[in-house]
Amino acid sequence: MSNYFNTLPLREKLNQLGVCEFMDSSEFADGVDALKGKKLVIIGCGAQGLNQGLNLRDSGLDVSYTLRKEAIDGKRDSWKNATENNFKVGTYEELIPSADILINLTPDKQHTAVVKAVMPLMKQGATLSYSHGFNIVEEGMQIRKDITVIMVAPKCPGSEVRAEYVRGFGVPTLIAVHPENDPQGKGLAQAKAYAVGTGGHKAGVLLSSFVAEVKSDLMGEQTILCGLLQTGSILSFDKMMEKGIDAGYASKLVQYGVEVITEALKQGGITAMMDRLSNPAKIKAFEISEELKNIMRPLFQKHQDDIMSGEFSKTMMEDWANGDKNLLKWRAETGETAFEKTPAGDVKINEQEYFDNYTLMVAFVRAGVELAFETMVQAGIKPESAYYESLHETPLIANTIARKKLFEMNRVISDTAEYGCYLFDQACKPLLKDFMKKVGTDLVGKNFNEGKDGGVDNKKLIEVNETIRTHQVEKVGAVLRRAMTAMKAIKTA
Amino acid sequence: MKKSIVHIQNLNLKYQSNLVFDDLSWAIQNGEQWVLYGASGSGKTSLAKAIAGLLEYSGEILINFDDKSKLPAKVLLVDSWYQFKNLEGVANFYYQQRYTSQQAKETLTVNAELMYFGKENHLAFADAEPILIALGFERLKNSQLIQLSSGEHKKLQLVKALWLKPQFLIIDQPYTGLDSASRENLNILLDDAATGGVQLVLISNDQALPSCINRFAEIKDGRLAIANEAFKISALPNGSLGEIPRFLREAPKYSSELIAKMVDVNISYGEKQVLKNIDWEVKAGEKWLLQGPNGSGKSTLLSLINGDHPQSYANKIYLFGNRRGSGESIWDIKQHIGLISPEFHWYFDNNSTVWGSIASGLYDSLGLFKTLPYSKTIEVDELIKFFGLTENKNDLFNTLPLGKQRLVLLARTIIKNPELLILDEPCQGLDHQQTQYFNQLIDELCTNGITVIYVGHYESQLPSCLEKRIFLEEGKVKLIEEIKKEKVQEHFELVL
Repeated sequence: MSNYFNTLPLREKLNQLGVCEFMDSSEFADGVDALKGKKLVIIGCGAQGLNQGLNLRDSGLDVSYTLRKEAIDGKRDSWKNATENNFKVGTYEELIPSADILINLTPDKQHTAVVKAVMPLMKQGATLSYSHGFNIVEEGMQIRKDITVIMVAPKCPGSEVRAEYVRGFGVPTLIAVHPENDPQGKGLAQAKAYAVGTGGHKAGVLLSSFVAEVKSDLMGEQTILCGLLQTGSILSFDKMMEKGIDAGYASKLVQYGVEVITEALKQGGITAMMDRLSNPAKIKAFEISEELKNIMRPLFQKHQDDIMSGEFSKTMMEDWANGDKNLLKWRAETGETAFEKTPAGDVKINEQEYFDNYTLMVAFVRAGVELAFETMVQAGIKPESAYYESLHETPLIANTIARKKLFEMNRVISDTAEYGCYLFDQACKPLLKDFMKKVGTDLVGKNFNEGKDGGVDNKKLIEVNETIRTHQVEKVGAVLRRAMTAMKAIKTA
Repeated sequence: MKKSIVHIQNLNLKYQSNLVFDDLSWAIQNGEQWVLYGASGSGKTSLAKAIAGLLEYSGEILINFDDKSKLPAKVLLVDSWYQFKNLEGVANFYYQQRYTSQQAKETLTVNAELMYFGKENHLAFADAEPILIALGFERLKNSQLIQLSSGEHKKLQLVKALWLKPQFLIIDQPYTGLDSASRENLNILLDDAATGGVQLVLISNDQALPSCINRFAEIKDGRLAIANEAFKISALPNGSLGEIPRFLREAPKYSSELIAKMVDVNISYGEKQVLKNIDWEVKAGEKWLLQGPNGSGKSTLLSLINGDHPQSYANKIYLFGNRRGSGESIWDIKQHIGLISPEFHWYFDNNSTVWGSIASGLYDSLGLFKTLPYSKTIEVDELIKFFGLTENKNDLFNTLPLGKQRLVLLARTIIKNPELLILDEPCQGLDHQQTQYFNQLIDELCTNGITVIYVGHYESQLPSCLEKRIFLEEGKVKLIEEIKKEKVQEHFELVL
């Protein structure tokens, strides 16, 4: 198998990278009709598998689960999840031949093995659905030509996909049809009906392509989402230790701070996040985030280049073949950092204090989100796709850090994201060495406004506000967020 | 002279920006066991929270613990609202999550929760046993917290408090959601605690109190008025209900003569069976009373009708004329139903306004995600006026006192003039006067021929429209009978 993207002529590369349309709600007026009466069979019953299946069934569709024989015989958790909720469960041989829509919700790494096993069993003209395009795009999996290949990817964890559905809403969702596999031209209608079945159409659906999804998803997760949050958290904690801030306080500030700060981001973009700071702090955060952008730009570009060329997936797959040697080593190293090992102290930090005492993280987030967005857009990815994979997902990842620090984040995200995160983190820390030398406790650990009179220069402030507010990520974000304002806040602290 | 146990002087307290208490003074002497009562929103809960150190106040609250007592020198407040968290310390659950079976264990078991509590407070597990038995809780030891019903959550709070036996125990609404047997047993346990040296303050408008209670006070207009007896029910003034909006006087449009039919329905979680061989039929226009002890399966039964239970797909259930699982969505089912329950209230969207909360009933969503047609906005306004909520229409739901929140949710259930009203303990946490008002409303609203399923533990607190009764015990139908009209009437008059 060879990298699908690299087999395409440039014209077609650009064409597929550029598929991006935020769909109007009128596009979903047919509801679930395209899937009504069809047999939907889901492979795998973990968090995404179970919760998507519950939603699809509650939308009036016929859903069952197929699991490997060992999982059924061993009555594993996936088997229990499915049977105890009264779903029909069967082996590949039992259920796949009659499936109209086969939905692959197994972990990314298993895709090649799973798809090779199920393809010969699929009936002529059936549909295969993915929630991530890595297998098709990077691994170059070839699907039988009579089969329709679609992607439906809710942009939230499985439990939220369910929680939002039962309250009558949904989560933002990305859909796509693989152009090499749409023999009957029914792919789009089915993907839309699927999005209605999980409730996604109420929170906004983005029509994308397998290529655009993979190239933007990989970029987002390695750089701003996981990579920079990890680097920023560790450096901030170490700085506070160096300056003698109480360890319990520092640990709590870092663990929960990123969640509180990015909640503002979720609701009102970079603008709302920056507006939580006092005027002098905002100007300072702006200045250092500009500096951070300049320092980190080459690294962001390198990541994007390696993703586009297939270099990243090639080296990662070599590590898969090597028993995850690098991944496991780097995972262990992350577990040994001082931040990871210091429990959050039993201290109360109120919401505003997270902004005032952690201005550095606000600067990191602004720099990371804008850089990731800009780099993706420069590489040919459309702004809407870039928005989802940068700004939109940052609070979701921040929530995992608040739960159990970096270990939890790296456990929850895919192996692909985790691998990329470590690559970024290792390269980023040395880059920021000189920058961090200048950082004092006014930026992390203590209130920035302490001992300052709060005065700023009018002209300067207007200029800073203007730059923040007119950035393209803010303009695109305002439109996309309007569709999902009703989503509930995630709360931990 | 002996020092008073609690001494409050010049207490000033704010709720949001309103002053609740202005220079309140109160003393509790040794041997006094108190009950505080008062209307919803009078400040009972705020006072309790201030004493327990959970609210900011100005003035003086002194608590003199007895250093010779073996009981822990602590003030414990048992909240009227339960709270539990998952294993990661997050209280981020959603409505009907407990019916879904998930292998990833989200919450602790009751047993683990009690062990943890016992260890934290250095308590002997053997001391908890008799309390668990008295409140009928032992069979729940292996249940996960998320699987408990609202009444069972209340009991768990009480078990912990009675096990800890702090020197000073405040219980806000001790009887909410408890079945009558547990209620009697709770009173015995409270008497025992008082004998053992626990200082009690109960916040309750109930009259069936433990016999140790010897002091009473009413909270009214920011003051504490000492009384000689428990809260007395006074009749509602006549004609307190306005005219029902026209759109609710029309008969609901029935899609089928048969609202719900269950044939040999069984529901279990792993080994634990919660509903056994249920056969039940509800016809259009019938008014049912559903009863049974805590944990007998009432809420689960209702969840089957409301489309909330994943296991309904494997059972023989007909709803509004259609077999369940024949291609309908849960939204197709819910559009026929208006529902209120303590659990629904618990998970309700706190961030919506009163107006938005009521309007969301048109779409059966928790929160309003659509724009209403003009004709519907008029109906929402009329209903708000009828319920006397016009002043609160733009307030956030969670800033209202509990009684008003319930009224909002009741209005939400009827906004679409549904075929079926499911009222699962709608008056939980309300005082007698509010309950009467609420039930009168239901009686009025019912005259248009709507179908009702009502859950309530206490005979004296039911609307008079109910005609049939189904009684559950340990997941089985114990009894189905006609309700004798005179009897309900009699009860109703007694209350008035």
